[in-house]
Amino acid sequence: MALLNLKEFHSPRSLADARALLDANEDALVLSGGTFLHGLEARGLLSDVEALVDIRRIGLDAVEIDGAGLEIGATATFARLQAVPEVGTEAWLGALADALTYPPVQIRNTATFGGCVAAACPFFDIPTALLALDASVDTDGPDGGRSLSLSELFMGLFANTLDTGELITALFVPRPAGRVASAFLKLEGNANDLAIVNAAVRLSVDAGGVCTDARVALGGGVAESTLRIPSAETILLGAKLDEATLRAAGEAVADDISPMSDHRASAAYRSALAKVMTRRALERAVARLS
Amino acid sequence: MNRMNVVGHSVERPDAYDKVTGGKGYPVNVKLPGMLHAKILRSPYAHARIVGIDASRAEKLPGVKAVLLSRDVPQVKFCPVFFVPVDAPSMVLDFDVMNGEVVRYVGQPVAAVAATTAEIAEAALSLIDVEYEELPAVFTPEAAMQPGAPQLHPGAANNVAKNPSFVAGDVEKGFAEADFVFEGVYETQRQHTCYMEPRVCVAEMDRQDNVTIHVTTQHLFGTREKLAYALKLPESKVKVIKSPYIGGGFGGKLELSYMEPIATLLSKKSGGRPVRLEQTRHEDFITTTRNPIKVYLKTGVKKDGTFTARYARSVLDCGAYATHGAEVIMVHGAFGLFFNYHAPHTHWEGQTVYTNNMIGGGFRGYGAPQGSFAVESQIDEICDKLGLDPIEMRLKNARKQGEPHPFNPAFTIATYGLEDCLRQGAAKIDWPGRRSARGGDGVRKRGFGMAVHPVWVSGCMGFPDIYEHSGAIIKLNRDGTADLASAAMDIGSGQITTLCQIAAEELGLPAGAVRMSSGCDTDNVPFDAPTHASRVTYSAGNAVKAAAAAAKKRLFEVVATMMEVSPDDLEVANGTVSVKGAPGKSVTVAEAAQRAESPFVQMTAEGPKETTIGEKGTIVGIASLSPTSNPPPCAAQFVEVEVDTETGEVKVLHAVYAHDIGRVINPAAAEGQVEGGFQQGMGYALMEHIQFDPETGACLTSDFLDYKMPTAVEMPRRIDSIFIETDEPSGPFGAKSLSECCVITPAPAIANAIFDAIGVRFRQLPITPEKILAGLGKL
Amino acid sequence: MKQMIRLEVNGETHELAVDKDATLRDVLRDQIGLNGPKRGCDSGGCGCCTVHVDGRAVYSCLCYALSYDGASVLTADGLSTGADLHPIQQAFIDAGAVQCGYCTCGMMMSAKQLLDECPQPDEEQIRHGIAGNLCRCTGYVKIVDAVKLAAERLAK
Repeated sequence: MALLNLKEFHSPRSLADARALLDANEDALVLSGGTFLHGLEARGLLSDVEALVDIRRIGLDAVEIDGAGLEIGATATFARLQAVPEVGTEAWLGALADALTYPPVQIRNTATFGGCVAAACPFFDIPTALLALDASVDTDGPDGGRSLSLSELFMGLFANTLDTGELITALFVPRPAGRVASAFLKLEGNANDLAIVNAAVRLSVDAGGVCTDARVALGGGVAESTLRIPSAETILLGAKLDEATLRAAGEAVADDISPMSDHRASAAYRSALAKVMTRRALERAVARLS
Repeated sequence: MNRMNVVGHSVERPDAYDKVTGGKGYPVNVKLPGMLHAKILRSPYAHARIVGIDASRAEKLPGVKAVLLSRDVPQVKFCPVFFVPVDAPSMVLDFDVMNGEVVRYVGQPVAAVAATTAEIAEAALSLIDVEYEELPAVFTPEAAMQPGAPQLHPGAANNVAKNPSFVAGDVEKGFAEADFVFEGVYETQRQHTCYMEPRVCVAEMDRQDNVTIHVTTQHLFGTREKLAYALKLPESKVKVIKSPYIGGGFGGKLELSYMEPIATLLSKKSGGRPVRLEQTRHEDFITTTRNPIKVYLKTGVKKDGTFTARYARSVLDCGAYATHGAEVIMVHGAFGLFFNYHAPHTHWEGQTVYTNNMIGGGFRGYGAPQGSFAVESQIDEICDKLGLDPIEMRLKNARKQGEPHPFNPAFTIATYGLEDCLRQGAAKIDWPGRRSARGGDGVRKRGFGMAVHPVWVSGCMGFPDIYEHSGAIIKLNRDGTADLASAAMDIGSGQITTLCQIAAEELGLPAGAVRMSSGCDTDNVPFDAPTHASRVTYSAGNAVKAAAAAAKKRLFEVVATMMEVSPDDLEVANGTVSVKGAPGKSVTVAEAAQRAESPFVQMTAEGPKETTIGEKGTIVGIASLSPTSNPPPCAAQFVEVEVDTETGEVKVLHAVYAHDIGRVINPAAAEGQVEGGFQQGMGYALMEHIQFDPETGACLTSDFLDYKMPTAVEMPRRIDSIFIETDEPSGPFGAKSLSECCVITPAPAIANAIFDAIGVRFRQLPITPEKILAGLGKL
Repeated sequence: MKQMIRLEVNGETHELAVDKDATLRDVLRDQIGLNGPKRGCDSGGCGCCTVHVDGRAVYSCLCYALSYDGASVLTADGLSTGADLHPIQQAFIDAGAVQCGYCTCGMMMSAKQLLDECPQPDEEQIRHGIAGNLCRCTGYVKIVDAVKLAAERLAK
């Protein structure tokens, strides 16, 4: 792969070793699954990279689910998550399960959660799902670790807020209380594609069916980053999740997005689709609530 | 038709075993001792004058063995298309390998490097300093034809590279006689062939200028002719090695690319070391494509659907060099627009126009898909408006068996199963029942559509300036098998299999007893025209059958002396030659071949015994010939689609094809070609589109992330192939041809089905979800 | 500068000096001499390079070889040894799923992953299982047939 300035390749065996390597070279890039490296390189974004630090052997691939939620090691692959039984059965994780069905098997076997969110690619699927699930990331940096929400992590197109030498060590998806379901949907050009538009939602309801908590997230070029859609969430919160509410929530997304036009779709189309995909994702989640 | 022993059976592909166990036989695998690796430096500008090039830094990079600049390249202009002579008067002779003066599209080669590794060669490219002076560029044919537009080639006024036309009758009179006149503008896009094996070559040129090249090509002899011309060498100096198989072509490996002469010259410059040049997928995407054509179509009809007049103007964007565009426009006008139906008055004007876009190339269907999309869409519009049945409307205007061929009245349409194709295809999809199945009140609406391709080619017999003959050599082995040597390239569609079946049938050998020789090259086999124009089964098949017949004649002569009977009394089946009517009296082919190659005097228990002169000599048959006709295959297609009216997504649920391809040589292989043809045609209809930055002319869709073609998920769950077998008298065992009709029909059939589903007519491909929503007024 | 890695490929152990930016695909093709993993793109777009690493299908063009020190790799070249083909290979032949054959090796490796995990897939599972592999010749019809046939034979 054509990283023209690449001089070193490291496979550290501990986080401390990785830390030392990253501290020693500010033009080092953390390598995890690496499946989008070519995509970034082809866009001229990696021309300064002099060293790759492969973090897949430093023990960050654990996955644990308990009462608090789901903890995903940064180098856990998509396939690893698919093999966790609760991911397929728990309604609150429905969005993640949905999103995991889209990539082809070769990507699922290679791509990792940490790499996927660090790439800050708005056309990816998993980050949209994780955003709707209130996920956060834990990091390790030259000055110690910190925890960031995904909204805090994403800074723009292929740009994140990590400092030089800072790497993601784990992601955490909190388990919400009560009756909760989530769902994800994607519009793509073919079955091995980046998203033209994708949508993820998470809904909590009380015994009377009134929405007590709502998350709506959109990706796929509706903005430079995958983002939350407060205007839709506001409509859902406190409402009965009937057809009219879901439709209104879908229509409202237009207020919060600034879609891009490119060779894949125009802004107008992305805007129209954002509404439809949001409503359909809501319908899917509501179906899972019952 | 009579049942045969080998022809008409789905015999196993002889190449399949190797392909499932790794696949050795592709040019991409060729590795030679001392081999260097080459990379091409390409223009970043769509139109620029080259002010200067300094490669001195690149030459000093360790590992670099040769740098090629324009001064190292013979300065000749020619037509790189394989199937025509290199200086064919009907083509445009504008192509050059590296001219050193001007670049006319983003990606045009300006220099090249050979080094010990591809990485070093790549790094060296960045050390070549090129000074450009940017020139104004033009990216649409309409703009290119405007007064004041940049002029791309001397001698092409208004950037029109070629403007063919034809007139029959008086089209204005025909429109005056019409009850209705329909007009529409139909536009198609650039589509890539997407062969899976990238274009690659390994070339050697020694100090006596002997060239040997392994290359992904659809034409052995075309590669030799064009490469020799580009290098100013006698043809016999160039040996092109036939690879056992090529990883797909579809028309995308049908002309000399830049890589063959560049690799060869780099070999010479590096002292004769073999040089390998493998294109990246990006390079593949920017160097060959189906030409986009805009068709202005006008049709006059009587109330009953009879055509009174047909007029069209076609504007083809050939990009920076004419190459295939000079011929695509001709096939488009003839077989895409006008040969398909009768009309008393016709008039066509074609324009092949230069722009600063990428150059075009061949692609299955070769101009016909662009025409058929217009014609078959408009027929549907006419039927809708006049309340006519789309099947009957087509049959009313169709040609008939026994009529003279529209292209050359010397040829008769001897076999023509179009009506059966329509009737049987319609029955398969339940066409009469479509009214109740279509539409729906929900978000997802279903519709049915159809299209036909009524007249296509079996090769290029009769076409001006186009090669059309084939050769074959057959040799019988002493174990009762036969070797077939031929220059016909197997690009995946099973040419090896079908040609071996034809030979086995003619020779009376079992399937599998005829083997395609693995050691063919331009030195040792007769000329064959390319694998293109749906020609191999028909044309090369005829030559193979003739060679087998010649070998059989020799076989009977040998057996006749052995059995002391007349050769005329013999017949052969299943590897055994016997006397007609006396099956007990027989000699195996193996025994005959052994006898033919045995020592003339044989030692027996009774002492030395002479054999006869008549039975001596290896049993061989050779043929090199043109076919006698150009019989039209035809096809009818039906599809059922579902349109999501909220997202604009179109799903094809079911596709039905009915083909008349004459006798089917290998049913499974024929089905496979048809099914693959639908993938290409559906991609063309719905998603595939090479796009460029409108400001810079740089390609935006040069990998599979950005260029979308159907995966197994998007394809319909059901594709039915019906074959209406006719017995074509001029074809081998009754065969015509197959490859291309199935790629031509999907786009109009799908457009017609979408109209049926949602009542919106789309005249611009691809019909993306975004266009659907816009058409529904939802954007 | 090259670094040493050890790979077990199709049952054989290889000690290899590898460039820092070499892909697993290029090491398998150019250093070990295998033909099964093929180059159709460099971006995980075509699937021609699909191999199994430690039992799971990956795009070998997206893998830095240095990341896979100690891994066990299976390519289509190693699906079978001797005269008998692996049931997936035989099914691809018998179903007529091989045309130009350039996608075939990668396609079979994706099929194998699917059948390893899901021995009796339905048609939708098969189509999604091979969605990361492009084919331009077959329209996938006979490839899907081949996977069904292989599943039936493996069940016996």
